[in-house]
Amino acid sequence: MTTRSRILAAALGLTVLLGCGRDRAPAAGGKKTIVATYSILAAAVQDLAGDAFTVRSAIPNGLDVHEWEPSARDIEALTHADLIVENGLGLEGGMGKALDQARQAGVGFFTAGDHITVRRVAAGEGIPSGDPDQAAGARDPHLWTDPLAVKAVVDALAVDLGRRFGVDLSARAADLDARLTALDAEIRARAAALPAGRRQLVTGHESLGYFAQRYGFKLVGAVIPGMTTEAEGSAANLESLKRLIRQTRVSVVFTELGTPPRTVEALARESGVRAVPLATHNLPPGGDYFAFERGLSATILDALK
Amino acid sequence: MILDCLVTPFTANAFLLNALLAGILVSVACGIVGTFVVLRGLAFIGDALAHGVLPGVAIAMLLGLPGMLGAAAGALGMIFGIGFITRRSNLSPDTAIGLLFVGMLALGVAIVSRSHAFSGDLVRILFGEILGIRPSELALQLAATLVIAVLARVCYRPFLLLCFSPEQAEVSGFPPRRYHAIMLGMIALTVVVSFRTVGTLLVFGMLLAPAASAALFSRKITTMVLSASGIGAFSVYTGLLASYHFDIAAGAAITLAASLIFFILLTARQLLPAAGAAGRTK
Repeated sequence: MTTRSRILAAALGLTVLLGCGRDRAPAAGGKKTIVATYSILAAAVQDLAGDAFTVRSAIPNGLDVHEWEPSARDIEALTHADLIVENGLGLEGGMGKALDQARQAGVGFFTAGDHITVRRVAAGEGIPSGDPDQAAGARDPHLWTDPLAVKAVVDALAVDLGRRFGVDLSARAADLDARLTALDAEIRARAAALPAGRRQLVTGHESLGYFAQRYGFKLVGAVIPGMTTEAEGSAANLESLKRLIRQTRVSVVFTELGTPPRTVEALARESGVRAVPLATHNLPPGGDYFAFERGLSATILDALK
Repeated sequence: MILDCLVTPFTANAFLLNALLAGILVSVACGIVGTFVVLRGLAFIGDALAHGVLPGVAIAMLLGLPGMLGAAAGALGMIFGIGFITRRSNLSPDTAIGLLFVGMLALGVAIVSRSHAFSGDLVRILFGEILGIRPSELALQLAATLVIAVLARVCYRPFLLLCFSPEQAEVSGFPPRRYHAIMLGMIALTVVVSFRTVGTLLVFGMLLAPAASAALFSRKITTMVLSASGIGAFSVYTGLLASYHFDIAAGAAITLAASLIFFILLTARQLLPAAGAAGRTK
């Protein structure tokens, strides 16, 4: 070994050692750790759990929930969790294997989708496509856009946590219930002020089904007709969307993380619609679930006014 | 009725017409460059360049720069890297290309997978977004295609010699290394300006498939370039029609059409010995 390569090797070793010490916070004070699969779900869980648990989101806020794949360290965090809260309706596509691993490692699971009335794709809804997750009867995972669905989830989770860890969260659950009910009433009142003809949604992918169902909006279509952002657009789909936009006189396309930006641009040029960015899968910076849902509904209602 | 099926989709939808025009320009550039790629056996480096631009694109997007700038940097990095490895080691160019190819691809995927800025965009870098062509991009594509055509015309003789007898090129006063570098530059330019249209993964198909199809029955290079461009343009047209009528992803439909045409022509040549007799490119 020459001197130069010795120095190199030493530098490399040091880098590795320093890298290991980075952000590996031990579970503070022996608190149980709940890992929710994505940030919005984690925010709702945090609102319920308060200081009683350490709550983390597996998928960092800001990344595409449908596409994200865990690194080795993320899988480690999942298998070391005391409880994993997942959506369970086919949302966390890239995490399937990692969640299976955690299940095999004996980690407890709470599946949000088991505790709500799952919305199913209605016949003739949106743009017909070969995508099986867009076929009539397919389950829609985007439950968090409806505050009352979130309420059902946190209620069930409060009971589950009580049974599993002997923690009494009933007071916090009741408080959260009241706030979610108030949020629902607030959005409902604002949505009702919008003429029914304007309550029509064109989105990046079919992400607002629960919101639409709760507040009386019609789902016109999506740039990527499907429940995930993963598909690639076809000319047939873009043409149907163009026609639908003309027929329904929609003037706004809500673009999301993962929506093909140039395809939307082309659509906007040709149909005269306006593209409005909408955060459907991510929390606003530093915000909680309530900030998310208020922001979501305000963006939609203001754009359609 | 037939008109409704074959023409109206393009006249009624600006996005399809733009896609067709951009696709035809890509086809012409790929027809010219692809001919030399096929004749000189540069398929592997073409493939490597097409994938090697990925980290460049990723970094450019992170920094908020145009993706094309990053693609150009990535392609240049690839070319110099391959040259560097072959000069500094006893390894064959194949090994150098392979190393950089996977290294760059992995770097690109690694950057994309951990970045908040554009998760989900990996698919669009690899497969392009041909249905979202901006009119301004057509002008750029046209300019690049013209540059490639002029370069090919000017370097016609040295390229010809380089393809068929590199020793002769040296003797005739055309240093093979210089013209090899120009050829690589042309491949890089094609990849860089085409990645928006058909994506880095599929541009390689457009580079190879039409030129390979043309090589089956062309005797002269000019014929090969013209028919490769024509076959490419036809693939774009049929691919877009298939995407429109059968609801298939547009970029994939185009490359699929180009590959299918190759196999159809290959089969036809086997079945028609008369045409096969002409099948030696010279």
